[in-house]
Amino acid sequence: MAVIRDVMPAFDLLQPGSATEAQKLLEQYGADAWVMAGGLDSFDWLKDRIKKPKVLVDLSGVDELKGVHAQGDGVEIGAMTTLTEIANHPLIQKSYGVLAQAVELVASPQIRNQGTLGGNVSQDARCWYYRGGWPCYRAGGNICYADTPVGRNREHAIFGADRCVAVHPSDSAPALIALDAKFLIRTPQGERVVDAEDYFVGPETDITKLNILGSGDLLTAIRIPGTWAGAKFYFEKVRDRNVWDFPLMNVASAIRLSGNTIDQIRIAVNAVAPRPMRLKAVEDAVRGKPADADTGEMAGKIAIQGAVPLQFNAYKIPLMRNLVKRAIAPPEEAQWS
Amino acid sequence: MELIQWAISPWGRTVPIHIAWSLIWIAAIAAFCFMIVHALYLIIVKPPKRFAESKAEASAAGIPERVPRHTLAARLFHWIMAASMFTLLITAFLPKAGIDFNWVVYHWIAGCVLTVSILFHIVHASFFLDFWSIWPDKTDLIDARNRTLRFFGKDAPLPRKFAKYPLENKLYHGAVMIAGLAVIVTGLFMMKRVQTGLFVRNPYLFSDMTWGMMYVLHGLAGVGFIALTIMHVYMGVRPEKFPITKSMIFGWMSRDFYLEEHDRGRWAVQAQSTPPAQQGYSASDGD
Amino acid sequence: MADGATVDLSNVESLKPRPFGEGYKLIGRDFSTSDLVAKVTGRAKYAEDFRAEGMLFCRLVLSPMPHARVKRINAEKALAMPGVRAILTPSEVPGHADYVNDNGQTIKADKWGELALADEPMYQGEPILAVAAVDELTCAEAIEKIEIEMEPLPFATDPLESLRPNGPNARLDGNVWAPDPHSRDSTLTTLKWTKDDFAEYDQGRLPMGSAPEKWSYGDVDAGLKDAALILDETFLTPDVSHQCLEPRTTMAYWQNGKLFVYTGTQSTGQTVPAIARWMQMSEDKIVFVSEYTGGGFGSKITGAQTLVIPALLSKKLRAPVMMRISREEEHFIGRARPGIRGRVKIGFARDGRITALDMFLVSDAGSYGSSGDGGSCGSITSLLYQPPAMRWRNVTVATNTPPRSAQSAPGGMQAIAIMEPILSKAARKLGVDQVALRRVNCPEGKAEYGPANHKGERAHVTSCYLKQALDYGAEQFKWQQRAAQQPKRMGTKVRGVGAALSCFHGGSSGFDGLIVITPEGRVRIHTGIGNLGTEALIDVHRAAAEVLDVPWEAVDIVWGDTAKNLPYSCHSGGSQTIHAMTRAGHAVGLECRQRLQEVAAKALGGQPEEYEVANLHVVRKGGGAGLSFAQAAQKAIQLGGIYDGHEVNPDVNKVTKQAAIALAGQGLIATARDKYPHDGDSFSFLSCFAEVEVDVETGVYRIVDYLAYADVGTVIHPAALRGQVLGRSTLGIAHAIGQKWVIDPQYGATVAKRFYQNKPPTILDVPVDMQWGALNIPDPETPVGARGCGEPPVGGGCAAILNALSDALGDEIFQRAPVNADTILTSYEAGRPMQEALTAHI
Repeated sequence: MAVIRDVMPAFDLLQPGSATEAQKLLEQYGADAWVMAGGLDSFDWLKDRIKKPKVLVDLSGVDELKGVHAQGDGVEIGAMTTLTEIANHPLIQKSYGVLAQAVELVASPQIRNQGTLGGNVSQDARCWYYRGGWPCYRAGGNICYADTPVGRNREHAIFGADRCVAVHPSDSAPALIALDAKFLIRTPQGERVVDAEDYFVGPETDITKLNILGSGDLLTAIRIPGTWAGAKFYFEKVRDRNVWDFPLMNVASAIRLSGNTIDQIRIAVNAVAPRPMRLKAVEDAVRGKPADADTGEMAGKIAIQGAVPLQFNAYKIPLMRNLVKRAIAPPEEAQWS
Repeated sequence: MELIQWAISPWGRTVPIHIAWSLIWIAAIAAFCFMIVHALYLIIVKPPKRFAESKAEASAAGIPERVPRHTLAARLFHWIMAASMFTLLITAFLPKAGIDFNWVVYHWIAGCVLTVSILFHIVHASFFLDFWSIWPDKTDLIDARNRTLRFFGKDAPLPRKFAKYPLENKLYHGAVMIAGLAVIVTGLFMMKRVQTGLFVRNPYLFSDMTWGMMYVLHGLAGVGFIALTIMHVYMGVRPEKFPITKSMIFGWMSRDFYLEEHDRGRWAVQAQSTPPAQQGYSASDGD
Repeated sequence: MADGATVDLSNVESLKPRPFGEGYKLIGRDFSTSDLVAKVTGRAKYAEDFRAEGMLFCRLVLSPMPHARVKRINAEKALAMPGVRAILTPSEVPGHADYVNDNGQTIKADKWGELALADEPMYQGEPILAVAAVDELTCAEAIEKIEIEMEPLPFATDPLESLRPNGPNARLDGNVWAPDPHSRDSTLTTLKWTKDDFAEYDQGRLPMGSAPEKWSYGDVDAGLKDAALILDETFLTPDVSHQCLEPRTTMAYWQNGKLFVYTGTQSTGQTVPAIARWMQMSEDKIVFVSEYTGGGFGSKITGAQTLVIPALLSKKLRAPVMMRISREEEHFIGRARPGIRGRVKIGFARDGRITALDMFLVSDAGSYGSSGDGGSCGSITSLLYQPPAMRWRNVTVATNTPPRSAQSAPGGMQAIAIMEPILSKAARKLGVDQVALRRVNCPEGKAEYGPANHKGERAHVTSCYLKQALDYGAEQFKWQQRAAQQPKRMGTKVRGVGAALSCFHGGSSGFDGLIVITPEGRVRIHTGIGNLGTEALIDVHRAAAEVLDVPWEAVDIVWGDTAKNLPYSCHSGGSQTIHAMTRAGHAVGLECRQRLQEVAAKALGGQPEEYEVANLHVVRKGGGAGLSFAQAAQKAIQLGGIYDGHEVNPDVNKVTKQAAIALAGQGLIATARDKYPHDGDSFSFLSCFAEVEVDVETGVYRIVDYLAYADVGTVIHPAALRGQVLGRSTLGIAHAIGQKWVIDPQYGATVAKRFYQNKPPTILDVPVDMQWGALNIPDPETPVGARGCGEPPVGGGCAAILNALSDALGDEIFQRAPVNADTILTSYEAGRPMQEALTAHI
């Protein structure tokens, strides 16, 4: 069978008007359905003719999934809220700046206008072998093409590899983990609420998915508790280009200080492993310590323990060490004369 | 129905990548069907167990009350192999059935345990036990023919009692051996494809097609083991076979059972004074 | 006036920048070109925007293997689908044939040449089949029903692997292109180096086995012996796709026995002979339409060979056929710059002057054709750094990777990227200022370059004022202050500055101009130049308008459709358009003026020279009788013959002659050929400067400032030149900061095929306020003094960034481009380059 990587295949377009209806459609069509948020991941798969769903459930008309709403002392963000809206939202900017920063660094303005928070956390891996339609583990096959003696793996994982070495590409995910966000999922069995870090799965558990969403499941909203509102935040994304680029790595932290002593902290990195990594060992090690460069150095060293580089991605080890350090003790801005 | 899951290789070729996972269910259902049919047959037809008289059967003198059947080493091997096999089956197929967990590490470690235990078994059975006792002999074949003829109501002589192992047991051993070798050989190569820390990962040892066939063979043998294991467990817990199962736990079977089922001429048990090690433990010990 | 472009070459050093437009009414002044509004409003029609009644679509099947033989195609199921009309197989594509070029020479068929569809594909992604159907969805579904059996053949994606003992050959009959002793062409041979040749490979030094191409001049060994410092450096330049925004989409149909083709090109006129050659049909049966082209950069000089696919399908199906090309397909068929592995040994005197230079190159020619980049790399090095003694050796290796072609400054860009970091290192080691070191090695005036020919003479340039460009550029960039700035490090940020020289060819000659003065009094200039977006299409005609002294508003430009009778024009490659076509424009302007004077004399009496032309009139000097252009055109039609196109200037090319004859009777028609002599070859030069800021904890850097200062002769259109100087600098910067190929060597397959994977730079990757300047000193060897500037900035753009990075971080960080966070971070920590130079496509 010859292959062509262009022209979207034919499918039935279903445009539900409510979350309930959307979830029912997903349940009804099961594996034959493809759920589409902003379309930025979906259209790649579809136009490459790698995914050929029978029906496409387009969530763009589900207004109840859109918007940022204060809820108690926290905030709830609909899964279909655009990244631009989140980046510009006064409440997010004021109290959850780490998320505003993270989503503002996603891709490009056009993509942020169209891309949604739900889509950003639920997007698929960007490994170029996988996205090229090669029959790798993640695609249901029996090989990882990136982790071979000659594989091109500059952008791949240093942690959590289990046959597959793809990394999770989301910028918002580590920020949401740092904020201790909860993901609201509507399932055939009812609503389920999971911690941000538990939303993501590694290849050791399920090599064909990056998150826990099963057939018939719909991510409806992300709830951020007030716990970390107004905390000291840090977010940094390292990428090759200044716009329209996935992270080579990113880091997000939320810190509560007593004076300069770290009282509470949550820290997460992404694009180092197939799922965003919350660094609990680092959190435990720095709690009660001053938020200074020494603590940062120590944290960086702890963070990279157990990292396994591939042939072309050894740079990710010092990069992770340094980013974690900076997430504890940010560098001072250079003031050139 | 497709037996094999195919994919398009990077070079545009249609290559096998593994078995169709529906075979898991087919193997399990087939084994359960066998179990049900077999059980119903025994319950409804109640076939009498009849053997031809043996010349050597005249006296039970010198037969110990506890007839030694499996050495401790053989029993340990059997149960280690069983544990690894269960681990392998659970880790291989539960995720395919939708129960996700971190399975690969346990799978390859269990595979290594199985491999080592099989290597031990080959050496042990070849050099320290009666190697030929597990292989069907001429008598087995004649008896099998006679039993089949009698089953269909034809006139045929009564079969003789069994040697150390009934023919079914020998055939089962053969099937397990073939499937076992298939999963082990393919499994060992497949370890070059996953991160084990034992080898430098190199998925390019073979061509896409060869690898694909290897995965298919591994899968076919694996689903074969689903059926074989179900049948083995079923047989192990059947009341009339239970003395054999017990012997795999305690190492011996009762004199009565021995005399009822086994032909002393074909499986000679020496007088009590003879040390067990020289009593002709058979190559299949541990099955 | 146009002829005032003279300079005193006796004292080159004394020449100073001149204000743009000095002495001219039109030249050197900004204006809006007539195609701009259509472009910014979306009215401009690119190939994909055309439609024809009953139009079908076709899509391509690409080879999944890097080298294979197509054994069997079974399209039964596809052809049985409703809506599927036909397939086109390689056997239906005309093969290789001899052809006669513009100069009447017969060019022998190239048996190694590329065809639109291949039955022995030479790279993964090469088209092997096309399917035509009523729409693209049907095409795609049909393609997925086609079974193709292919036999894989040996392949090589890394040139050095191919040169190893027992290494694979990209082609069944060889792996290395060598000069053919019997012609000027290259021939394929087999070359393997010994194991010993590869002894230094693991140390990151380019192996130097035997090289089929070589030249030298001067005494290299003596030069190295006398040197105060010798550096021996290896560097790898990247393979970089052209990434034209408009892919090679084509629409074609047949009407009354004529083939109509719509596609993008760098030359409307010269694409017709190419189509004729590929289709093996007569040029006069071809109508070619290319009003707008979304970028070429050397990859669409005469369109693209794949254009024959819709043309052949259209003929087969008797219906128009549109072939749209996707971004992924464009990655494969869209051409790329060949990556070059270079090793250069240079001797320097204490003041930084180069005493000798020994250059060894391994060029990756890709799957088709022998790349000329290695050769160009040698000659540009020889020109730009003026080594008194130089040896050049080159091995051009065929690989099973997408085809290469010229890309903005082919070879020149690589030469500069390889050379400049060595010069920077030398300056640091010798304690010489970067600008000063470049200044002592700078070409000047009629600088010589390359080896001596059989007469013992070396080639030379028409003029070079690079020293001034370097001085004024350094002044504008405030080089001295920036270079002296302390501290260089603040916190985790380190700053560095880089200077680089740059040059490339700046023009050709010998083309034609065609002007029609219409009976309505308009000045209509026909041109066969392609509309690449550089505005040269329009700008060059300012020369003719200047000569005729007409207001620009009275000038209409006719382009983009060969049915509109276009003259013989240069293709817009090799940065030749501004130079070549201002010459042709100047020539036809003079011819037109002469004819106007003659017509006036015939109508009003007296001698032609008694009349002068200005402001859309031809009038008797000193006042008196005259004709408006409208009247002159009407008189020319009455006169016929040479005046209205019934007779044509015998100097011009047959294409121009045909155009003029077709236009005969429409007004006063003037044609002329550029016959102006020129002593030397035209090159343009730039000095480029950059400052970068590197975060040493992340390896991320930003370009703080960038400036390019041009020596391109007379500035024709400042805004367009700015676009060229900074736009092409950005193309060079792309090579430094990220754009690249990634190929999996196991399958010989490209894995980075999309913009987000192969990462061409974005607007945010370059400084917002990039600066530029130009000397505006006219070239003395061309009538308006203008040279091209499409390509010359590219190498400097790349090298200025590389040099700034090594200034910030030290010399032991990178041995290859692009330089990214990964390169910097690991190397900075280790204190040595951690990415070795010799592995391709990572």
